[in-house]
Amino acid sequence: MKVTVRYFARYRSLVGKSEEEIEVPDGITVRELIEILKERHPVLKNEVFAEEDDLADVNVSRNGRYVRFDEVLRDGDVIALFPPVSGG
Amino acid sequence: MLSERELERYDRQIMIFGVEGQEKLKGSKVAVVGVGGLGSPVAYYLAAAGIGTILLIDEQTPELSNLNRQILHWEEDIGKNPKPLSAKWKLERFNSDIKIETFVGRLTEENIDEVLDGVDVIVDCLDNFETRFLLDDYAHRKRVPLVHGAVEGTFGQVTTVVPGITKSLREIFPNAGKKEGKFPILGATAGVVASIQVLEVIKLLTGLGEPLLNKLLIVDLAFNTFDVVELK
Repeated sequence: MKVTVRYFARYRSLVGKSEEEIEVPDGITVRELIEILKERHPVLKNEVFAEEDDLADVNVSRNGRYVRFDEVLRDGDVIALFPPVSGG
Repeated sequence: MLSERELERYDRQIMIFGVEGQEKLKGSKVAVVGVGGLGSPVAYYLAAAGIGTILLIDEQTPELSNLNRQILHWEEDIGKNPKPLSAKWKLERFNSDIKIETFVGRLTEENIDEVLDGVDVIVDCLDNFETRFLLDDYAHRKRVPLVHGAVEGTFGQVTTVVPGITKSLREIFPNAGKKEGKFPILGATAGVVASIQVLEVIKLLTGLGEPLLNKLLIVDLAFNTFDVVELK
C-alpha cells in the first residue's frame, strides 16, 4: 500500500522535503512506519525519534487527526510528523 | 460601563464584537506567564485590545540577547528591571485605562493558587514544558482556559486548553520537556504566534469565532504553511 508522509518544522529541514509518497507493507502501524522512515532517512535517527512510546519526541497525525503509535495505517493515508517546540 | 474615551479608542474593534464584547474584555483578567519573546507581543496586544487587568509573571531580567524578540524590553532595562516591571512601565503609558499587575518570581506548586487567583484566561508564553505542565494542572484544577503557544526558529504551535472540553497539555505533549537552554528564534516568528494567542483570548472572552479547541495549529513561516491537526 501507499502512504503519504508529511514532514514539519525541523523534520522538513532534515529530510529536505515537505512530503513524499512511499510504498509500505499492508497494515503496518505508525511505529513501524517510523522505523521505515529512519532507514530511509538516517538523519532522523539522530533525533529522539520514536525509540519507544515514552521517549518519543515526535507527534504524529493520520489524515489530520492526532494518533498513537500503535494505530494501524491504511492505503492512501496521509501521515504528518511534527516535533513539539517548546520555546517562548 | 465604557467611558466616551474608551468607546472612541476601541471603535474599530467594537465594530467586530460590539460594545458588549468590549465590556467583557474590560471586565476580564488575563495572566501572561513568561514576559519574553511570546509574552511581550501578547501583553502588548492584550493591552491594545483593552483587557481590563493584565497580570505579568516572570522571574528574569532582560539580557542583550533577548532584544531581538522581547520587544517590551529596551536597552535601558538590561540587567536592571525585571521583565514584568519593564513591561508594566511601557504598557501603563500605552494604555492608562487598564490595570497591569506583576509577579516577579517563578511559579511553583506552592504559590500558583495565590498568584493566579481570579484570572479568567491564562496565556502560556513560557520556554519550558516543566512549568507549562504546572499551568496545565492548575488550569484543570481550577477550570480556567489556557492558551498554549510555543516557538522555535521559524515555526510555532498554538492550541487552547479548556478543562472538561479539550485534552490537557500533558495528553497532547506527553514527552516534551527535556529540552533546555538556547534555542534559535526570530522576533517576527514570536510575533505571529503571539498574535494568534491573543486572538484565542479574545475569542474565548467575547465568543467570537471558534478557538483552537482540540486543534493544534502548526505554522512554519519559512515555508508558508499553516496546518491544523485535530486532537480528538
